[in-house]
Amino acid sequence: MALLELRGLCSGYGRTEVVRGVDLNVPEAATVVMLGANGAGKTTLLKTIAGLLPVTAGTIRFQGSPIERLGAHGRARRGVCLIPEGRGIFRRLTVRENLLVQADPGGLRAAIDRAAALFPILRDRLDQPAGTLSGGQQQMLALARAFVTGAPLILSDELSMGLAPVVVDDIFEALAALRREGRSLLLVEQYVERAVAVADYVYILGKGEVVFAGEPAECTSGAVFARYLEGAA
Amino acid sequence: MHTYLPFLVAGLASGSVYAIAAMGLVITYKTSGVFNFAHGAVGMAATFVFYSLRADAGLPTWLAAAVAVLAVGPAIGLVIDRLLLRRLEGAPSSTYVVVSLGLLIAVQSLFLVLYGAAPRRVEPFLPQSTFHLPGVNVGWDQVVLVAVAAVSGVGLALFFRTRFGTLTRAVVDDRPLSELARVNTGAVTSASWVIGCAFAALSGILLSPILGLDAIRLTLLVLYSFGAAAVGRLVSLPLTYAGALGIGVGAQLLTKFVVGRPSLAGLPSSLPFIVLFAVLVFSPKGKFLELTRTDGRSSGSGGVGAGRFPVRLLLVLAGVAAVLPGRLSSGRLLTATAVAAFVLVFSSLGLLVGMSRQVSLCHVVFVALGATTLARLLDAGVPYLLALLLAGLVMVPVGALVAIPAIRLSGLFLALATFGFGVLAQDLLYPTRAVFGGKAILTIHRPVIFGVSLAGDRGFFVFVAVLALAGVVAVEAVRVTRLGRLLRGLADSPTAMQSLGVNPVVPRVLVFCFTGFLAAVAGGLLGTLTLSVNAQTFDFFQSLVWVAALVTAGSLSLGGAVLAAVLLVWVPAVFDSPVVAQWQPIAFGVAAIFLSQARNGLVGFLRRPDFGALARRHEWRLGSVRLRERLDAHALAVEVRDGTA
Repeated sequence: MALLELRGLCSGYGRTEVVRGVDLNVPEAATVVMLGANGAGKTTLLKTIAGLLPVTAGTIRFQGSPIERLGAHGRARRGVCLIPEGRGIFRRLTVRENLLVQADPGGLRAAIDRAAALFPILRDRLDQPAGTLSGGQQQMLALARAFVTGAPLILSDELSMGLAPVVVDDIFEALAALRREGRSLLLVEQYVERAVAVADYVYILGKGEVVFAGEPAECTSGAVFARYLEGAA
Repeated sequence: MHTYLPFLVAGLASGSVYAIAAMGLVITYKTSGVFNFAHGAVGMAATFVFYSLRADAGLPTWLAAAVAVLAVGPAIGLVIDRLLLRRLEGAPSSTYVVVSLGLLIAVQSLFLVLYGAAPRRVEPFLPQSTFHLPGVNVGWDQVVLVAVAAVSGVGLALFFRTRFGTLTRAVVDDRPLSELARVNTGAVTSASWVIGCAFAALSGILLSPILGLDAIRLTLLVLYSFGAAAVGRLVSLPLTYAGALGIGVGAQLLTKFVVGRPSLAGLPSSLPFIVLFAVLVFSPKGKFLELTRTDGRSSGSGGVGAGRFPVRLLLVLAGVAAVLPGRLSSGRLLTATAVAAFVLVFSSLGLLVGMSRQVSLCHVVFVALGATTLARLLDAGVPYLLALLLAGLVMVPVGALVAIPAIRLSGLFLALATFGFGVLAQDLLYPTRAVFGGKAILTIHRPVIFGVSLAGDRGFFVFVAVLALAGVVAVEAVRVTRLGRLLRGLADSPTAMQSLGVNPVVPRVLVFCFTGFLAAVAGGLLGTLTLSVNAQTFDFFQSLVWVAALVTAGSLSLGGAVLAAVLLVWVPAVFDSPVVAQWQPIAFGVAAIFLSQARNGLVGFLRRPDFGALARRHEWRLGSVRLRERLDAHALAVEVRDGTA
């Protein structure tokens, strides 16, 4: 049984359907990478899984039970952790307060220790408003939520966007650490090659539908990328 | 100095009650992003329940107060949050303004119906004895008020230092992200409404022995906390507390100052609104952050028939106006004349509330000042038509003055500033001799124009109908010209308009001046119709009811203005029953709440349905292929008929 199973999932904005009948599996302790051109529906799909957008058709099963009727916080409590596009932090709160919101009640100290173990810089910035951190530090703080909550499924949306290459290395290292802890990852990434290199499984989305699903080795062939572009057209 | 001490003590006591109300208001705003215009009405409702439990049901005072503060207030807060506001998520701030105004109107009018307008005495429940400090006698009740406020303030401050406090700030900062971080944002928002409304209830109960049980005054007095909340920029609890105490003391000191100056008698009670208006208008730009969660989803404005000139409707209206004088009795014709004048009022208001999405709550001031200016000019011997024109022109600079907050501030704060301006005009301007004269009433005679006497009801109806039509044509012309397009654009996205090189100041000032002019002319006509005007004719509350009526009927088109005028004026006149008149504002309030998100109020429902959308909806709801085929065939037939296929 896969950790996350999508069957015939449809969703969108108002009348505009963006995700059309997606079937997707994320196995236990696996890294799944989702690729696709701009507008293919990757972000919409992640938001739908996390509960920020309503499901118009299809099912989402997490750890075997359907979750599509739960609100976003309900799914987050079950262990679906989305690090959204952009900077997933509370800009007007301090770093400490951000960690407080991320942590379980009464678990602030443990959360700070956990976050600082990964990103030591955060300990020095505890009382600084998160909006004043550098872009890389903000992304570290956003990613800290995945570690602090212990969620078994991490969805991340363009984590590396707009970051310096050296920071991107840190981010990928953190993702690898999550993976080593036995968590499952569903990644949307702009650095296709780096993402595919860590993937156990790859999906390519085009116009809201799955146009390719397979092993990373298969997708690096020319034919698959042609289909990828076809999806983009 | 000693002569001022009693006023200082009394000011601290009343300021403390304002502080309780204002802190409740601020709590709700800063955690839910919704400014509750009905805050005072909530407090009033809870106070009435308190009174009934205590005086009618015979409960002990502490129990009645506990029920009102801990159960009734919070319950109202939950209802507001869950039933009224949850479905608005992401709507523009003007929608939230309209909903809470509708609530204010409905609740206040409902309690007027239930309990009558006559104030009832509330037996004091705080100790009445006093003790002596150097230079002043202090009542124990005053001490209790100050202590309750202080304890509440400190309690709130501590409460917001807990984890829950951080969670509320997280929810305000980024609601979806809070959900992702496992926060039940709905519960957090509900909690803030529960706390805010409990505070409203507490302040209402504490005020009741001083004010008596009076639906209007209780509603308005808690509204006085608006000024204090503005001092705290609607978000800071300590500043709000300080502002409330300052306003309380200031108002008491002014009370001493205005003794023997009857024309300034309204000054102390208007101080909160002076503060409100001044803070909003004179604060450095950008100091007021709007917390309303708007997701840019465009609801309403710019949608239906935005750029079309309603030729057919205008022709129909002209036809109806031509037929009516021969068909109606004299009394009905007077009503029809009022309807015509109100079409002009609503049409001009629609330019602001509908098209520009700027909720202006002082429209009645333009109307009132138009009528009084006309009366004054006629007294001075100015010919009627010229006097009417001048009365309109005099309001142009007033409109520009009101436009200042509109330029500087966004939706919610404009509504607040115009609210403050409206109350100020009523309390400070109306009582002076300059407005309604020494006898507080002005008479206006029906004119003779070009040798034709308009003293008869038929002639006057025709005159008003012609002017109203001319005004409405001007409004519709504004809608379809560049000014209208600019205003619609500014309503959607001021940033986008500025990036196109549009200076937002010019269209906003122009539209306020223009609506001021039209409203003043309409006011002059209304005054001429009733033959006299006084301050009661143009009670401030009317402004709020007008906005609710217009939103109910439809604020985006001429049809809405006509329907609003008919609903407001014609319906009560036809039924001629006090029940209809009493329930009318309640109906408008409730309807405005539920129609605030409709495309264009009631008239929006009259539009031809969108068959394509219906087909798509039925497609998944019924799964009926046959229905879809039939609708497709229908759509094809329509296209063939229109020659578009």
